[in-house]
Amino acid sequence: MTDLVAQALYSGVLTGSAYALIALGLALVFGTMRIINLAHGELVLLAAYIAYTCESQLGLFPLLSIPAAIVVVCVATTLTWYVVGRIERDHELNSLLLTYGIGVMLTNGALLVWRADIRSTKSAWLQEPVVLGPLYAMRSEVLFFVVSVVLIGALWWWLTRTWAGRALRATASNRDAAMLMGIDPRRVQLVSFLVAGLLAAFAGTAIYTIGVIQPSLGISLTVKAFIITVLAGMGSVPGVLAGALLLGVTESLTTTFASSALQELAGMVLFLLVLFVRPSGLFGRRIGAV
Amino acid sequence: MRGRSLSALVVVLALYALVPVALGGNLYLMSMVVAALTIGGIALAWALLGNLGGLVSFGHAAFFGVGSYASAILVMKAGWPIAAGLLAGGVFAAVSAILMLPALRLRGPYFALAVLAYAHIFRIIATEWKSLTGGAGGIANIPRFPVVLGYDFSGKTGAYWIVLTIVVLFVLVYDRVRNSDYGLALRAMHDSEEATRVVGVNSTLLKAAMLFLSAFMTGVLGAFNAHYINFLEPDYAFSGLWTMLPIVAAIFGGYRTITGPVLGALVVYLVDQLVFKELMPIGHQIILGALLGAMILFAPAGMLPALLRRRGWRHA
Amino acid sequence: MFAQSPARALRVLLALAFALATGAAAADEFLLGVEVPLSGSLARVGTGMNEGIHVAVDVFNRKSGKHKAKLIVIDDESSPAKAVAAVEKLASQGVVAISGGYGSGNIGPASDAANKAGLVYVTSGGVDEALTQRGFKTFFRINNTAGYSKAMLGLLADMDAKNVSIVYLTKEATSDLAKDVEKALVAKGVKVTMHAFDPAITDFKPIINKIKLQDKPDVIAMSGYENDYVGIIRAAKVLKPDVKAVVGVWSLATSKMQDDFPDLMGSVYGTALLPFPAEFTTPDGKDFAETYKKLYGKEPDYLGQFGYVQTQLLLEALSRAADAGTLKSGGIASEMRKTNRDTLIGKVAFDDKGDNPNFSHRMGQHQGKKVVVVWPKDLANGKMVFPGVPW
Repeated sequence: MTDLVAQALYSGVLTGSAYALIALGLALVFGTMRIINLAHGELVLLAAYIAYTCESQLGLFPLLSIPAAIVVVCVATTLTWYVVGRIERDHELNSLLLTYGIGVMLTNGALLVWRADIRSTKSAWLQEPVVLGPLYAMRSEVLFFVVSVVLIGALWWWLTRTWAGRALRATASNRDAAMLMGIDPRRVQLVSFLVAGLLAAFAGTAIYTIGVIQPSLGISLTVKAFIITVLAGMGSVPGVLAGALLLGVTESLTTTFASSALQELAGMVLFLLVLFVRPSGLFGRRIGAV
Repeated sequence: MRGRSLSALVVVLALYALVPVALGGNLYLMSMVVAALTIGGIALAWALLGNLGGLVSFGHAAFFGVGSYASAILVMKAGWPIAAGLLAGGVFAAVSAILMLPALRLRGPYFALAVLAYAHIFRIIATEWKSLTGGAGGIANIPRFPVVLGYDFSGKTGAYWIVLTIVVLFVLVYDRVRNSDYGLALRAMHDSEEATRVVGVNSTLLKAAMLFLSAFMTGVLGAFNAHYINFLEPDYAFSGLWTMLPIVAAIFGGYRTITGPVLGALVVYLVDQLVFKELMPIGHQIILGALLGAMILFAPAGMLPALLRRRGWRHA
Repeated sequence: MFAQSPARALRVLLALAFALATGAAAADEFLLGVEVPLSGSLARVGTGMNEGIHVAVDVFNRKSGKHKAKLIVIDDESSPAKAVAAVEKLASQGVVAISGGYGSGNIGPASDAANKAGLVYVTSGGVDEALTQRGFKTFFRINNTAGYSKAMLGLLADMDAKNVSIVYLTKEATSDLAKDVEKALVAKGVKVTMHAFDPAITDFKPIINKIKLQDKPDVIAMSGYENDYVGIIRAAKVLKPDVKAVVGVWSLATSKMQDDFPDLMGSVYGTALLPFPAEFTTPDGKDFAETYKKLYGKEPDYLGQFGYVQTQLLLEALSRAADAGTLKSGGIASEMRKTNRDTLIGKVAFDDKGDNPNFSHRMGQHQGKKVVVVWPKDLANGKMVFPGVPW
């Protein structure tokens, strides 16, 4: 029994770390720019397909495809930043609609380019098991757990210790004051989109090596990322990791003790609970009543 | 005002009489028109929520699916007549919106996505609650529309008339609400929520009312669709397309107007199925995504109003 | 005032589209409609079936002296409403029959529309029981759930499995199959544990761990689709439960899976119509394989095989009806019902519900780069290898 629980917790934590990578980009852009990029899941998926193309056409080990993925996804997010910046009125609503349209284009684009077949890594090395006592995992899962923790740590350090990161947070909390301090909000926005793109590139490679991808995955990734953002609360990066881990562990415990058919439902119920009971999230600042 | 109502009446009568005459024989085109009108109705409900409630939703598929299942189950398991089923579909969808009330506290984008998450949740519930909903396999052989006053409404023309009636009714309701005292308050709230609260308007109550109305309308259309297609399954009833197409349609047709969304739906859906699909059999929805993006950037008030303004017309 | 012009413009647009949309066929040609998913969630399987259908028409046109066939293909986008619309469009374009359809949820409404239009509808994509309970005289299918469960049960019996864990997806087709197999196994006194999972699941380790630590079965049986198999086998490779075989159903014992996921397929069992490389020994089979290679540049798979057989039988019925002059008077359906012949998928004969009760799939096993048919014995071209696990 303890073996079952231990494995469930372990799997949940590993899965959660991958979820955190997926959610971070969305949380960052939303937390700082108040823009929800509805195409975020599709960007992660795009990175995954780049990893696939590199592996199948060029024979590259998936990790080596990350630079290419970063370039492609950052180009995509820069384009997104540019068109979102062109919106003149009703910014909140229209940026939602615009990114939604971009998401639709990316999903159908993926369908056109890569067809509907499922894809995943063929690398034997990444699929080998890693055994720690009674705990089992795939190499790719452990690898991206480490990557995830490192990236989150780096991001937190960047946000709190570097000038650029602090400029980002300043613009998020008070745009006008930040401008008075000499910060250009447009540039800060671009930076946040680029960082989100970087994170999405890692996340995409992670899902490609750990699981299976297909064009329809985009929207479910966005929903998952959004749920974690709600769990975490606005403006909290460590909160994203905690929320993601919580989600991952909830899912695997549900599978182990109840039925695996209820896994997705468990995550959703968790989301609803937080929404009803503590809408500012587990770690977020209190949102004023509307 | 008189002249406009009269010409509107003429148009509506023409739609009832002439379309079946012109297209009745071609089942395929009639299917397209019925589907377009269904989308148009949802687009209208979506726009209503946006304009009068100030809320954008990315999950209207939730209401559509709940309405579909509610009507199918009540008619098949409890023996209700279909007309009652349609109403019940709307009511259940409105009731399901109660679950979304906590989300009203959230800022705009939060709410939009929260509704999307709800659509997922309802889909999962429909899949798991096998005894009630038939699970992943869905419900088949849902009863068709009955014979009323000697006319068999189970055919394409019957369905067309029913959905046209529903949409026309919704247009009238939207118009009445918009021009009523509440509508004035709602539109003021849309412009400045702070100001309205100062004057004493309970903005949350009004928003909730609009959410229920929008959900009700969408639920009725979902119920209609269930009896029209005679088949339901979770992936179909809660499909993202029931969210996406109405949004594109409403934006295209001009979501600030009342009839804009419906007209937008007719144009967008028909062009997508009859033209885009022929040109690009796979992935043709990419054009819709691009269209949405382009409209937001260049014609946020809608493309139809922009086009019509060129010719010197304005519409309701 | 505005409404008149746009409404008229709309009507013009509709009339134009209608004019553009009608196809035409030469006098002595059968116009055959194809309604398949080429986009949406069923895109891959629909494309495969579509290829098989095209091969059948190609072979028919070359072989048949008197008759020719022409195809009109419409994508039903994996959606029931679009499937109905596709059938209606095909009907309006004057097709004499329809071959295609994937997913019982889409086939149900689509074949209903075909029945209303008086068109025969043949498919290999809908195994749901309900499809043949509707009393339609125009509906025919060449495979069914029973055929799949017969194959899996036969293999499990040959393996002498006493304790089986079944991991199955909560969708209709996969869970029906799982429940059928469970019932039959329990009746024979085999211990069975069931594990349902929903489509969103990616990490199967918790389930496999439960199986490894609690069930301790001889065989793990899987009922799902390609992405599920990959996830399950990956989890099993990591946890290494002590089982003697891993058995799945459709889309598993294929060369495509071997190519895409070579590390996961070793010695795994799944349903397989034919071995790979396919050794087609009958002239029928040779025609099929060569034409498929010529048209698509690759080896045929089970989807193409099913699409081929369903269309081949339909075309033969069409020829017979045309010769007897009963094409317009319900002859196609009655000729279909007279079908009784050996095909690539075994003997096919339709009962009065349109089902093919003879259908019994075969089981294959990945052995090296090949797929070897191991059940039933009289069609096998190799022996079972144990342990049937990729680790």
